Amino acid sequence: MNDVSSAPHRPAAGARLLARLACSALLAFGAVQAQTAGPDLRERLAACAACHGERGEGVAGSTYYPHLAGKPAGYLIEQLQAFRDGRRHYWQMVWLTQYMDDAYIAEIAAYYAAQPPHTQAADVGAPALPAAVRERAEQLVHHGDAQAGLPACVACHGATLTGLEPAVPALVGLPQDYIVSQIGSWRDGTRRSKAPDCMAKIAAALSPADIRIVAQYLSHQSPGAHDEPAAAGSLMPPLACGDLPHAQVTP
Amino acid sequence: MIRRIALWSALITLPLLLLGAAAGGVLLLRQGGLAPYRVPSGGAITTAGDAAEGAYLARIGNCLTCHTVRGGTAFAGGRPFRTDYGTLYSTNLTPDPKTGLGDWSAEAFRHAMRHGVSRHGVLYPAFPYANFAHLTDADLDALFAYLRTLPPVEARPPPNDLRWPASWRGALVGWRMLHYRPAPLPPAPADAPPEWLRGRYLVDGLGHCAMCHGTRGAQGSLPAEGYLAGGRIPGQGWYAPPLDARQLARYDVDQLADYLVTGNGEHGAAYGSMAEVVYTSLRHLRADDARAMATYLKSVPAHGGEARPDTGRFLYAAAQPVANPHNGGRLYQDHCASCHGDGGEGRGRDYPPLRGAVSVTAPDPVNAVRLVLYGGMPPTTDGNPRPHSMPPFAGRLSNAEIAAIVTHIRRNWGEQDRPVSAADVAAYYGIRGD
Repeated sequence: MNDVSSAPHRPAAGARLLARLACSALLAFGAVQAQTAGPDLRERLAACAACHGERGEGVAGSTYYPHLAGKPAGYLIEQLQAFRDGRRHYWQMVWLTQYMDDAYIAEIAAYYAAQPPHTQAADVGAPALPAAVRERAEQLVHHGDAQAGLPACVACHGATLTGLEPAVPALVGLPQDYIVSQIGSWRDGTRRSKAPDCMAKIAAALSPADIRIVAQYLSHQSPGAHDEPAAAGSLMPPLACGDLPHAQVTP
Repeated sequence: MIRRIALWSALITLPLLLLGAAAGGVLLLRQGGLAPYRVPSGGAITTAGDAAEGAYLARIGNCLTCHTVRGGTAFAGGRPFRTDYGTLYSTNLTPDPKTGLGDWSAEAFRHAMRHGVSRHGVLYPAFPYANFAHLTDADLDALFAYLRTLPPVEARPPPNDLRWPASWRGALVGWRMLHYRPAPLPPAPADAPPEWLRGRYLVDGLGHCAMCHGTRGAQGSLPAEGYLAGGRIPGQGWYAPPLDARQLARYDVDQLADYLVTGNGEHGAAYGSMAEVVYTSLRHLRADDARAMATYLKSVPAHGGEARPDTGRFLYAAAQPVANPHNGGRLYQDHCASCHGDGGEGRGRDYPPLRGAVSVTAPDPVNAVRLVLYGGMPPTTDGNPRPHSMPPFAGRLSNAEIAAIVTHIRRNWGEQDRPVSAADVAAYYGIRGD
């Protein structure tokens, strides 16, 4: 009996597009593993839990470590591979990923992706932002700055900033220092994504003052009920990023 | 008057000069005479070697690991090696004519592998030519044939960043005169089985195990008496244990062969430099080769007779142990016992026993300290595809607390009485990047 022909629905156009992505085979493998191996895998990932929490929900009081729970698996795979292959240089992560093969990486990514999203504001209880900071941040996050060549954050990360399947991460629920550090790393080349590296271009176009303002604003946001990443294909990002689909923009 | 001074000076200095020349000549002979410096030129580029076997041998010899920079093109070189004399970068082994081995002859390749001298001059001894000298012609030709099948990549490694005189390749002739003593493998016992012979060939040849597991002498040398005797690995921040009958007594041959291929076993998983060797090389070992290596390693006579090696006093940061206010036993119960057991007995293959572990018994505490600081994730292999990890404690426990825990486990289950201090932990703090 052929599994594909017996499936009740033919894959939709979006799903077929997804299937063409290089990581999709790994995703599928990882998802199957994650379903069968929740508690078992959690026990194996004690090293991850130390900084990211048992289910990737983050650790209370942490001012740096990002949460992993509910982030798109494609994004998590790319990050683990980036630590292993020299595109990210946080040495504790390199230490733990450097002898890890793609199959295990995919399984770990699927495990955290399957956890309930954690997108609570990171800086809960922080004093409200001054009006000028808030205005500038909202301009950049929701509308971008065409003059500086900056698209809006929401154009790729979703209207609620909770990410976009299969590989764009949430921007809410992250500590301010983590966001500043990542954008800084893109600027000096110590964090790289697969070419074309859209975030490197954005980081280069952001002024240092704007980086701090955006990070401050993002770390205060809480998405409320809509904390799942946007569905694949529901949004067409304006920039080419790695091998992800994007709108054809004439320069 | 002047003539008399000149006469007397000549009478004194001439014999000294002659003596010096004679000593130099002897030393030159002992490092192989002048033959190593006659690099063959011309000769056939192509070889009749078996490229498929060469691919396997390149895996087992771990050429890939040293000659590939993290995330870079395989075999295109550029990986940094930090030494006491500065930083070296590995070379491009792809057949690119300008920056790789493109126009090398098979003969020149054999010569470089055996003698450590190429058209570029004397090679730095980070390249294990002392081991590769034992390879057969057939294996060297197979390796060369395989390297010639790689896509040529134009890639020049960064220039070496070494201090004088190490920066001058000519100085390496002096180093070889002092420290390099090429010799064929000693005659094997008459009744040595083929498996033992194959194991020795792999361990001492391609495997170049002694590069990490040998005890280093002066100026980074590997004197014969330090053969597989264990020590701190240069530039890696890990201690490699001795490889001999006593150290490996915990394993039978099958268990040891299994450990080499899977990176895991009843006595714990591979970590640090060994995890890399398993991940990039040993997991590809053929089953019979793994058994052969295990057979040979378990036959190496115990170092230092029955006495325990005591090199510990050289490997601690503080000259005198410092009193530690923390209770290591209580901290162990709070942070370690749930996985490693109340008595350090471990649990199955996934939570290694601390009793008898290398990190706990070794004279050098560096492995124990660094594992507690930064945790670990064993290499993924077919035999251990989903490894259990150990959490890092850096940032969660203070240096003094980590020192107390390490002291506790080494005292109780390693018979290592010397306390580890917060200064030791501080000395091993930090992950060295590429």
